[in-house]
Amino acid sequence: MRQRKRKARRVKPALEAKWRANIDDHPIGLAWSPDSKTVAIAGVSGPITLFNAADGLVLHKLPGHALDTMSISWHKDSRLLASVGQDGKVRLWDAETGAQRAEMAGGSSWVERVAFSPLGEYLVSAAGRKLRLWNSCGELIREYPDANSTIADIKWRRDGRQFAISAYNGVVLYDPEEAEPLRRFEWQGSSLTLEWSPDSKYIATGDQDSTVHFWITETGNDLQMWGYETKVLELAWSYNSRYLATGGGTQAVIWDCSGKGPENSKPIMLEGHQRLIKHLKFQRKGMLLASGGNDGLLAIWKIRKNNSAMLADAVFKAPIASLAWSPDDRCIAVSDESGTLSIAAVRR
Amino acid sequence: MMNSIETRVPVTVLTGFLGSGKTTLLNRILTENHGKKIAVIENEFGEVGIDNDLVIGAEEEIFEMNNGCICCTVRGDLIRILGHLMKRRDKFDYIMVETTGMADPGPVAQTFYVDDDMQEKLHLDAIVTLVDAKHIWKHIDDSDEAKEQVAFADVILLNKIDLVAPEDLEKLEARIKSMNSMAKIYRSRDAVVEMEKILNVGGFNLDRALDIDPKFMEPEYPFEWSGIYNLKAGDYQWLMGEGPDPAMGAALLPLANKGLAAQEATLMDAVLAYSEEEQAVEPGETIRLGKGQHNQLVLNESGETVFNISIQQPGYYMLFTEHHPDEFEARLRGAEPALDPLETREYKPDHEHDEAVTSVGITIHGDLQLEKLNGWLSQLLREQGQDIFRMKGVLSVRGLDKRYVFQGVHMLFDGRPDRLWGNEPRQNKMIFIGRNLDRAALENGFRECLAS
Repeated sequence: MRQRKRKARRVKPALEAKWRANIDDHPIGLAWSPDSKTVAIAGVSGPITLFNAADGLVLHKLPGHALDTMSISWHKDSRLLASVGQDGKVRLWDAETGAQRAEMAGGSSWVERVAFSPLGEYLVSAAGRKLRLWNSCGELIREYPDANSTIADIKWRRDGRQFAISAYNGVVLYDPEEAEPLRRFEWQGSSLTLEWSPDSKYIATGDQDSTVHFWITETGNDLQMWGYETKVLELAWSYNSRYLATGGGTQAVIWDCSGKGPENSKPIMLEGHQRLIKHLKFQRKGMLLASGGNDGLLAIWKIRKNNSAMLADAVFKAPIASLAWSPDDRCIAVSDESGTLSIAAVRR
Repeated sequence: MMNSIETRVPVTVLTGFLGSGKTTLLNRILTENHGKKIAVIENEFGEVGIDNDLVIGAEEEIFEMNNGCICCTVRGDLIRILGHLMKRRDKFDYIMVETTGMADPGPVAQTFYVDDDMQEKLHLDAIVTLVDAKHIWKHIDDSDEAKEQVAFADVILLNKIDLVAPEDLEKLEARIKSMNSMAKIYRSRDAVVEMEKILNVGGFNLDRALDIDPKFMEPEYPFEWSGIYNLKAGDYQWLMGEGPDPAMGAALLPLANKGLAAQEATLMDAVLAYSEEEQAVEPGETIRLGKGQHNQLVLNESGETVFNISIQQPGYYMLFTEHHPDEFEARLRGAEPALDPLETREYKPDHEHDEAVTSVGITIHGDLQLEKLNGWLSQLLREQGQDIFRMKGVLSVRGLDKRYVFQGVHMLFDGRPDRLWGNEPRQNKMIFIGRNLDRAALENGFRECLAS
């Protein structure tokens, strides 16, 4: 008896729930403030709730956007939160007071994407084909010529010196100090999402036609990965730029970019989800990968070349709606489509 | 693949040329007090809430998608907008997507087949095409978009009928039926139509479309003209001058009354009569009367030819001729010298049109082997996918006690078991709508899929 008890105590649960809340809405954005103190979550109907990350107390409930909020982004100082939505506006909020600091026109009725630069001096917004660059006070720096089609994603390079957009026809790179695009990576298809590798060597895209592309930024060459079950909306790079985790099915597919690169290599396949994987997030400085699926499963995986394994899992009652690691990698925030938000510590 | 109980939100796609009445119909649907919550995706900008409903403006973005061997176009804007809409707590009872006037309905329909998120939450219920009864003639022969809008439709609304003479409307309806025998056709003024005729019609419509007698789906009428005569008992002569051909097909059939239903019934008899082997009628001989009688009137080498007609039962008769009588200065003569038809109707045989859009309906008995069917369809669609606009079927699959229903758009199809066969006789019905369809080849291919 005694021995058994001790044994049980030694195996610590890998996921330990810290707090839970419900926003009673379909969550569409979930982001930790860079100082780890606040968790912001937007509901599809508009409001944005700011939770105290430590205990789950509601700090502020921001009105957000009257006709649906579409996306949110934190400024690096953790004081400013940008949001965009279907009222055609880009809004800047003071996370400490909950007051709105600025309201800008996105250029079209649906503003879908917003991203602060890593150093915080710029904000980029996309509304349909309109691409606008702002400073952190909300003053317009530049409006770019219309993109060829609706902009699906915007991502900054880690050093903040470039940003990339994806749309139908591939990827376009910009220098925020230049009015003209730097270069284009063209593809006859709809690139739904993009991720820079942390070392900026690659830009990966997930596409509507069930492909993943690796654009080699130096040469503009493109490696195409075929054979996905469905469109690929889930991409995550490991901090060391070695692995790219991709969704587009019920198994996560992990490409190893070390050595000769992912071309003609056999990827690592992670089996465990019963339905489509909808979210993949690597830790910022560790090798744990979180996956969330339509089956409500949250799984934490340890990624290694030869024996990747699932370390922990938890099942939610609705499909997973969003995932975010805390900046210190110790906690994961998870929301499901019923509006549940759960913060759990991840132990190793 | 999916549950047989439909929980997905039905989507109605509204097509039609500019001025056909789409906006009038949409406004009517949005303002009518029907207690349903409807989201409308329009091709104009701006999002507006109207009472319970929601109108979202969209800019058509047509994307090409390559998925292995199939290649198709979809509406990227719809994937985004509807994907977002489905996340809302306020669920909609119906979604309507309006297309621009010149739109090819292919991309919008395909969108609901190729994207997993769309497939999971939404199903294409019906494509409703509004036709401006007065102005459609300008487009129907030379506009691919107009042909495709008619061919893709599950429901066709002949609108603005108050601006058209009844006989022109009949002609139009016959023409439309020859292109798409699957669609349910309604007539309207100012786009007034009951909601249940255009919303949530899917399953019902499928059964209905396939229950039409396959003979009636014959896309081409083998005759160009018919005339209705009111004849007393007695002897008549059918006189013909010289014409473009040395002989002409004819069928003479009794008509119960002058009503449309009776005319439709007799029209079917005529199609059936023409499908029989023709019997030569030499000059001076008597034209055979009644069902199944396909006369081949053989003309004198020159001058006028007389054929006899003998009427025992007085009443209405309908004469169907392979060519227009004017081409031969043909006329009917009785006791009174001139006997004009009470009504005439012209049939536009499809072989006059290049790349004619037609439908082919096939019914076969026996159980199918699903693997064979999949193999055949895949090959067929790879080779002819661009020309096959729509297909639908209710199939009897070996080892399955439920009906297997499927429908497709171009190269994409979606099939599933629905309800039990029960007392209904098990059989296979399929309908194809498209360009350059080869009935014999389709029928043979389908038959090859029977379980051995």
